[in-house]
Amino acid sequence: MLGNWHQLWEIASSPDNVPIVGLLFLIPFYIWYAFRQALANDRLIEKLEADPAAAKTAYRKTQPWNPKWEREVHTWPYLMRIEFVAAILVTVLLMVWSLTLNAPLEEPSNPNVTMNPAKAPWYFLGLQEMLVYFDPWMAGVVMPTLIIVGLMAVPYIDANPLGNGYYTYRQRKFAIWTFCLGFLGLWVAMIVIGTFIRGPGWMWFWPTATWDAERVEFAVNRNVDQIFGINGAWLRHLMPASSADYAPILARTIFGIFPIVLYFLLAGYAAYRAMNATEFARKIFRRMTLLQIITTDVFLVLMLALPVKILLRLVFRVKYIWVTPWFSI
Amino acid sequence: MPEIPPQDDPVVSRPMSVLILVSVFLLLLTVAWSLYGEFFGLRPWRDYQAHFRDLYSSYLRKQISQRRTQEQAFYASADYKKLKAAVDAAGAAALPEDRKIQAQIDVLDRQRAAMTGTFQIARGQVGALTYQLEQIPESDKSGRASKLKELNEAKAVTYTVDWPNSDGSVAPRTFNYDLLNSTFTSLMAQKAALVAQRGVVDKPAKDAQAAVDTYVKENLPGLGSADLAGLQNSVQSMDPKLRQINVNPPGTQINYVGGVGLVDRCQSCHVATDPLVVPVVMTLTKADLGVPKSHDAPFTSHPDQDMLKFHPIEKFGCSPCHGGNGRALDTVEKAHGRYEHWLWPLYYPENADAGCQQCHASDIITEHAPALNDAKQAYREKGCIGCHKFQGFDNQDELLVGARQQILQLESDRKADQLDIPRLNKQGDTAPNNETANAFYQQANNLTVTVSSMDAQVEQLDQRTHSLLQETKKVGPDLKEVRMKIHKEWIPYWLQHTHEFRPTTKMPQFRLQPDEVQAIAAFIWQSGLPGPPLEKQPAGDAAHGKALLESRGCLGCHSVGEGPNMMGGNFSANLSRVGEKDNYDYLVRWVHNPRERTRPYSPFEKRDLGPEDYAKHNVPFVFDLDHSRSPDDGHELIVQQPTVMPNLRLSIQDARDVASYLITLKHSDAQYAPADFMDDPKLVAQGKKLVQFYGCAGCHEIATLEDEGRIGTELTNEGSKPIERLDFALYTEDAKRGVLPDGKKSPRGSWYDLKGFFENKLANPAVYDNGKYKPDPLDRLRMPKPNINSKELDGLVTMLLGSTDPSLPPDYMYKPSDQRASVQKGWWIVTKYNCMGCHQIDVGQSSVLMGLPMYQGQEKQNLPPRLTQEGARVDPDWLKRFLANPALSATDTNRDGVRSYLEVRMPTFYFSDDELRSLVLFFEAMSHQAEPFIPQKLEPLTTAETVMARNLFTSTAAPCLKCHATGEAAHDKNAIAPNFLLAKERLRPAWTERWITNPQLIDPGTAMPSGLFRREDDHWVFSGPLPVSFQGYMGDHANLLVRYMLQMTPEEQRNLLSHAPPATAAAQK
Repeated sequence: MLGNWHQLWEIASSPDNVPIVGLLFLIPFYIWYAFRQALANDRLIEKLEADPAAAKTAYRKTQPWNPKWEREVHTWPYLMRIEFVAAILVTVLLMVWSLTLNAPLEEPSNPNVTMNPAKAPWYFLGLQEMLVYFDPWMAGVVMPTLIIVGLMAVPYIDANPLGNGYYTYRQRKFAIWTFCLGFLGLWVAMIVIGTFIRGPGWMWFWPTATWDAERVEFAVNRNVDQIFGINGAWLRHLMPASSADYAPILARTIFGIFPIVLYFLLAGYAAYRAMNATEFARKIFRRMTLLQIITTDVFLVLMLALPVKILLRLVFRVKYIWVTPWFSI
Repeated sequence: MPEIPPQDDPVVSRPMSVLILVSVFLLLLTVAWSLYGEFFGLRPWRDYQAHFRDLYSSYLRKQISQRRTQEQAFYASADYKKLKAAVDAAGAAALPEDRKIQAQIDVLDRQRAAMTGTFQIARGQVGALTYQLEQIPESDKSGRASKLKELNEAKAVTYTVDWPNSDGSVAPRTFNYDLLNSTFTSLMAQKAALVAQRGVVDKPAKDAQAAVDTYVKENLPGLGSADLAGLQNSVQSMDPKLRQINVNPPGTQINYVGGVGLVDRCQSCHVATDPLVVPVVMTLTKADLGVPKSHDAPFTSHPDQDMLKFHPIEKFGCSPCHGGNGRALDTVEKAHGRYEHWLWPLYYPENADAGCQQCHASDIITEHAPALNDAKQAYREKGCIGCHKFQGFDNQDELLVGARQQILQLESDRKADQLDIPRLNKQGDTAPNNETANAFYQQANNLTVTVSSMDAQVEQLDQRTHSLLQETKKVGPDLKEVRMKIHKEWIPYWLQHTHEFRPTTKMPQFRLQPDEVQAIAAFIWQSGLPGPPLEKQPAGDAAHGKALLESRGCLGCHSVGEGPNMMGGNFSANLSRVGEKDNYDYLVRWVHNPRERTRPYSPFEKRDLGPEDYAKHNVPFVFDLDHSRSPDDGHELIVQQPTVMPNLRLSIQDARDVASYLITLKHSDAQYAPADFMDDPKLVAQGKKLVQFYGCAGCHEIATLEDEGRIGTELTNEGSKPIERLDFALYTEDAKRGVLPDGKKSPRGSWYDLKGFFENKLANPAVYDNGKYKPDPLDRLRMPKPNINSKELDGLVTMLLGSTDPSLPPDYMYKPSDQRASVQKGWWIVTKYNCMGCHQIDVGQSSVLMGLPMYQGQEKQNLPPRLTQEGARVDPDWLKRFLANPALSATDTNRDGVRSYLEVRMPTFYFSDDELRSLVLFFEAMSHQAEPFIPQKLEPLTTAETVMARNLFTSTAAPCLKCHATGEAAHDKNAIAPNFLLAKERLRPAWTERWITNPQLIDPGTAMPSGLFRREDDHWVFSGPLPVSFQGYMGDHANLLVRYMLQMTPEEQRNLLSHAPPATAAAQK
């Protein structure tokens, strides 16, 4: 039943969720703000590229720009005073926050009666949401590790020398789109889903639907091998009679490799195409070593796996693609 | 130095001072805000305390001025002045002597002061040297000798002290150590003697002062103006501060909040509950402080100071009883714990007794908790216990199952062992050698002994079963008797219109479809016992029956009349429509002996035995408490109907009269549709299934369902159930938002809590089925609608809320091991049989009969006896005999053993041995009598004393036999008091003496005359004209009379009776 605005308000106003409500407004604002500056700078760059004389005196690559302006200014006071005001305002914000919203303490925990829905702290809700799509070993251990390693690798695989110290879109299209997909699409959106959409039983409730703990939902998720009816019947004849019972497992394990390999091939190629989408991109691509290219490609493929799996699960009700006795994907 | 950049660079040239100023101003503002929050916003108790201080202070000022006027008037009174003058006179008389002694004491004090310093130094030195000497080993002779010499030298040293003499002069005086020591001791002794002497001198003055103090205390109770002024002073200078109670008893941890000690800060707002602020002798109400009743101000003192005496705040704090978050202070809501995350919210006023239940769950009667007591009795009487187990309530049925299983186990073991014996003997016979053979014989022997001890155990269990069967009662009537008792057509009507037919019935209203009603009624009817048929009874005299019903005590439990005309108790059924449903013959048997059964039930064979079963064993078809073993297997049978209704020992003719009257009680227009389906055998299977589903066997005995368990959830710890475990069904969201099932707003907001769940469930047990799709009736909630009013509903909710899994340390639970345990246990039995319908058991409690119109005014003397001091009055062995058989006779039962003159009659309850024991111990404990009982020894009377006592006994001023019965019919016609011949075995001498000297103290309003004796010096003296024989007798007259009475013999009484006037018009007394 939709229309339960009261409950939506309760969710949005709970002290736990204040950062997420903030996130909902602040992220679009900063994206817009960053793009505004980046596009302005891009226009300046274009102008200076057309006017080599002006470019010689243009120390600052940012808009607004004036050729007579000094190349450098002092940190003190020109930077420090801005930071000082920012520090005061942040202090004010934190004080008002702590004065008006109490720590959301709850009753002593009772292991016999756990809360429903049991939600992680807001910044981990994205990870918790991933548990829906992957087995816990993947979502809880492998993926977070890959995220950290991938972020650590970024400086080493970035072959684009431009865009340091100023906002630009034109010169860093690839990086910005990757960021938008990874951070906005896969991190922030997952947190928002985890906060506002996931109710009791981690069921999907559209906003303003009543979070009814008794809701009954019918959903059958199946593994890809089940969809294709892989039961190892043909394998059984090839195996010694003593281990024939393992045939279905073996068949599943072997079968699952194929779609995974297929995905890696397709996605790897798509990533390769993305890295060579424009003339500028191709120029950067040529600067990259083989190791850089492979690393970038692998991380892109892995990152893309998440939305692909979400799509498969939510739209096609696929549980796992590759089921092995040790892990599942 | 870089050159100064051009002015128009925005990074450089844009002024920021306004921005900085605004930011700093904002920062200051938030700092101010946080400071305000720190001192006021988060500390609302500061305001409360300041407000309270002003109100209380001005209240005290008013009190002081009132008190001053009172005191002035009092001090001016002649009586006070006289007493005060006596004090002054006594003081003045003692003054010269007192002064003389004081002067002597002063000299001694000066002398002691003069020598103390020197004495301390000398004693210190000698003490140290003695210690050193003791440390030198015995073997070191020279060392010891030299140290001893040193010690003696130290003792010999002389000191000079400026010694004050008694004449005031000061002269030097020399001492050595020993002299110092002896002088000091003698000074102390002299002073002690003088102080004692002064005490004697001052005694008259002190006694006079004490008399004044007592007089003041009696006439001006409470705090004096000086005390009040002191209090007011301290209140005025009272700074707002956090007031808290810390409870952390050593060795225990109040496991109230996560296993740490209890800290209750309630008094920070509820200041008046602090005895240092409002002394316990005062009570403070809103009216006292001039606060309107509607105004929410936490300023009243604890309303029940009496209870705080045995629940001292220092030990119990506040929140363990009341609930709430004792530590929280920032808002009322937080402190009262009325938010989602506090698991022990403050109980609402209507549920305040829930706190009692937490520790007093084992009591059926808890003092100071009337609402809880009513609820627990309702829980039992309305049959909640039939479906919902609750620890502490009757569980004989479960004990019986256990005992029976044990019997079966023992019997099967016994059989196995018995088979083993011949086998072992045989093995012994064929053993290769003597040793082995003997070992086998020994084993066989051992088994024989084991078998016999098993027999003993089974016998013991059978006896226990006998007791338990006697104690097992059902809330509703035995439905096996239904074919004999009830009109067939009435049953389906009753099932559908339970509360309409009898608005006060205990039976809840089930939600039944018409086909369910038919099936259930058919099953009940067809499962009823077919016979042996009842004896045909001739009709009786209905008018006489009515008189008996109203006088024999039936109304202590039953009521008659409908609506506003209803009269009598509500413990048992209202009888006003009995004639519409019952058969006359059955009613006669029931009134004559309600425990009589048609057939005994054998729990082992799981069937009702009939004459044919007895015939097989050639024994007559006789079964009662004395013939309770089955002829088939020798185990206990159910031989009585499982009702608490006692046997009133009416003659069969009286029973016919009462039944004839009852059968006339009906609505003239009563009509019941014919119910032929009742005999349809096709309905039985479905009916049985439904009867099992609805748990009918929890309250009724029903054939083939004797072993059914309770169908409901156990409620012992229901108050601790997590809210998530309670199914609000489709009301979950409404409950959280405070919308009641009827669509109205809940006055207290969200009802998504235990209280809300219980209240709505009890008001309408089907409520959580609303909106659910349950096409199969057997899926629906099956709890029927209980017949309770809103007060009973609140009470039951209170009981459930307090029924928690104890979060308090075990030593807070009320589980006494002394006599109070007997009281605790006894109340369960007293309430089970509704003794309070007729008797006053506890001070302040009144019986049902006391409120009936026929026992008002003069007629009060026809009430059953008051039992408030029964344990002190009677011999416990006698009491046990009386309770077992109130007729005190095996043959002449149509009478009362003690008060044969009363119309109202003590019935026979057929108590089990355990119940008898518990009841006797209960009465003993209620009267604080020592246990076990040892009778008081009575001095035998001398011949002279016998004559004197006889004279007293028959004197015109104390014509005892005028009222007391003697057992002679002619004399007893007008008797209104018990026979003296019973006294010997029945009464305790100490109580009897207290009784005859002042009966009004024990039983206000009694017909027994007061003032028979007066106190003279240290003994009682007869108030009337003394018979001549008393001349020169110095003994206690009351004691003499008691000894005479308690040693009365039938001959003596007959002898007296021939001299005394017959008891005439005694009732006028």
